[in-house]
Amino acid sequence: MQLQLDVNGRLRTVDIDRKDGLYRVVVDGVERFVDAAAVDASTFSLICPAEGRSSQEVGLSPTGLPGEIAVHMAAGVASVRVLTGAASRFGRGAGAAQAAGTQQVLAPMPGKVVKLLVRAGDEVKARQGLVVVEAMKMENELRSPKDGRVSEVLVAEGASVEAGRLLVVVE
Amino acid sequence: MHHALTKVLVANRGEIAVRIIRACREMHLRTVAVYSECDRTALHVRYADEAYAIGDNAPRDSYLRIDKLVDVARQSGADAVHPGYGFLAENAGFARACRDAGVTFIGPSPEAIDMMGSKTAARAEAMAAGVPVVPGTREALGPDVADAEVARIAAEVGYPILIKAVAGGGGKGMRTVARAADLPGALRAARSEARSSFGDPAIYVERRLLRPRHIEIQLLGDHHGVVVPFVERECSIQRRHQKVVEESPSPIITPELRRRMAAAAAAVARRVGYHNAGTIEFLLDESGEFFFLEMNTRLQVEHPITELVTGTDLVHWQIRIARGERLDLDPERMLAPVGHAIECRIYAEDPDSDFLPSPGLVTALRAPAGPGIRRDDGGAVAGVVVPVFYDPLIAKLAAWAETRPMAISRMARALDEYDVRGIKTTIPFFRWLLADPDFQAGRIDTTYIDQALAARNGRPFLEMPEHASDIAAAAAALQAFTRTASPRPGAAPSESRWQRVARTEGLR
Repeated sequence: MQLQLDVNGRLRTVDIDRKDGLYRVVVDGVERFVDAAAVDASTFSLICPAEGRSSQEVGLSPTGLPGEIAVHMAAGVASVRVLTGAASRFGRGAGAAQAAGTQQVLAPMPGKVVKLLVRAGDEVKARQGLVVVEAMKMENELRSPKDGRVSEVLVAEGASVEAGRLLVVVE
Repeated sequence: MHHALTKVLVANRGEIAVRIIRACREMHLRTVAVYSECDRTALHVRYADEAYAIGDNAPRDSYLRIDKLVDVARQSGADAVHPGYGFLAENAGFARACRDAGVTFIGPSPEAIDMMGSKTAARAEAMAAGVPVVPGTREALGPDVADAEVARIAAEVGYPILIKAVAGGGGKGMRTVARAADLPGALRAARSEARSSFGDPAIYVERRLLRPRHIEIQLLGDHHGVVVPFVERECSIQRRHQKVVEESPSPIITPELRRRMAAAAAAVARRVGYHNAGTIEFLLDESGEFFFLEMNTRLQVEHPITELVTGTDLVHWQIRIARGERLDLDPERMLAPVGHAIECRIYAEDPDSDFLPSPGLVTALRAPAGPGIRRDDGGAVAGVVVPVFYDPLIAKLAAWAETRPMAISRMARALDEYDVRGIKTTIPFFRWLLADPDFQAGRIDTTYIDQALAARNGRPFLEMPEHASDIAAAAAALQAFTRTASPRPGAAPSESRWQRVARTEGLR
């Protein structure tokens, strides 16, 4: 089985099959044998026999975004999207630091829009404030994911918004 | 004036309600919980002996409803009320309503809450007690004071300044202003937050000290004039003026300075005839001078670390004081910490996006345990939704060890064990912090997080090594592969335990 994955913004190709009671996992041409046991429906215990029998636990969890899962490991959390068949849209080795293409800024939590800091057509810098949403009694400034131009502002000041509501589009 | 208490209404929710219920049970007191709509199945409801619905989710419709809480006290026959922290804990009107209803308020008198709750009156009391205060305005600046007048006062106090809500707390209604040009925006935001959070838009202006440390002294006072101050807590690690990590003792306070600060705190408490638990907050500047900041007339979020280094249960003592018992703690021992304790506040917030709230469904959770670890939580487990209506505190994690380096190491170990999925938490930030050389050396002040955030400029707190990205890819592939290979996809809910075991075995 072959899969194209986006791991933290980077394209990875993985081949996986079973061999000698283990899983043979080839990530971008590097082969690994893994002893995997399910702890529960979304947690694996992994032992790599050829790497000093290194042992670790990984947990998987949907992030709420379509097709995306969070992989929890000792070293941190990676976000992974399975893109089999759609790989060509992603450049190999594209970093996550500066988002590319059209970016949507969504409300990360339900709340109230208390202030709009930009208008459609404004040029913005990465991390520049776009909109202020009040939730949990705090005012939270949502920032631009990239340098670019605001192409759309889809909410008005005073509006109540649900989590995931599209607020601003930056091109 | 010793009076027996039998039943305690806990007028709060979340971890603090659970912590108080635990203390009550240990003291053989019956407990009464209250809950808003979304808290029907919360842990504090399940742990209490009785539970009463008090309204809708918004705090003003439930946990802030004095009338409903007093009704529940009457209806349940509770003879005492513990307010916890937050909500009505520093509301003199609530303390008064309890007193009028003949119910013991487990906390200070309404008069003391009124006095110390007004930041300007509290400053005056501190000065009268001979304790230095941070330079600033003596009078509250109400909504009728024009911006231009505030600007004149601010210039007189000297920039940088802090604008604070007179009725404030928890960093709400507070803004730092570096230049006169930034004043109008900050003033608007502070007043609007002060009005929405505390119902009072009055503010005051204080000079912002350069790189101060936030040091506070816990104290207990009884009804017989005894006041006992405790070893300090270092709470300099703050974001948006809200504490996220606390430790006791402070890595830089000498026994001599501790004695002076404890004596100053006790002097303020004695002056206002304070009883029950309270905390005096100080700012300590680089030269070692300290200034009274404010008094919190309640139990603090971070009280567990004091309990860990002094071996004293503060909630037990709150209840004992409320029923008229004499404080017979050895004051010398309360100023001589045993070992070192650190607390991390695990919030449902995304540290990599400026600590934005991240409420939602917890899909999996495993909490740390083991030697020296204490965890207070409100019952967040897999399947629980962290509500958007309240502070997004999931748990307080405290670590105790014989020395500060070992306490740091133990906390890091516990955070590594903490597995929370589905929501973002502040855990990655703490893991970074505990490994930071400045934190380890105790070189911290209240600007520490802001500076760290600025220096990182959007870089995530946990940077994934190459190897981990490989593992993530492998794990995602494994899940896809084993799901495809599963003999009966989609049949999981009805499958028997045998089938599940067989499937698990088949993975090997």
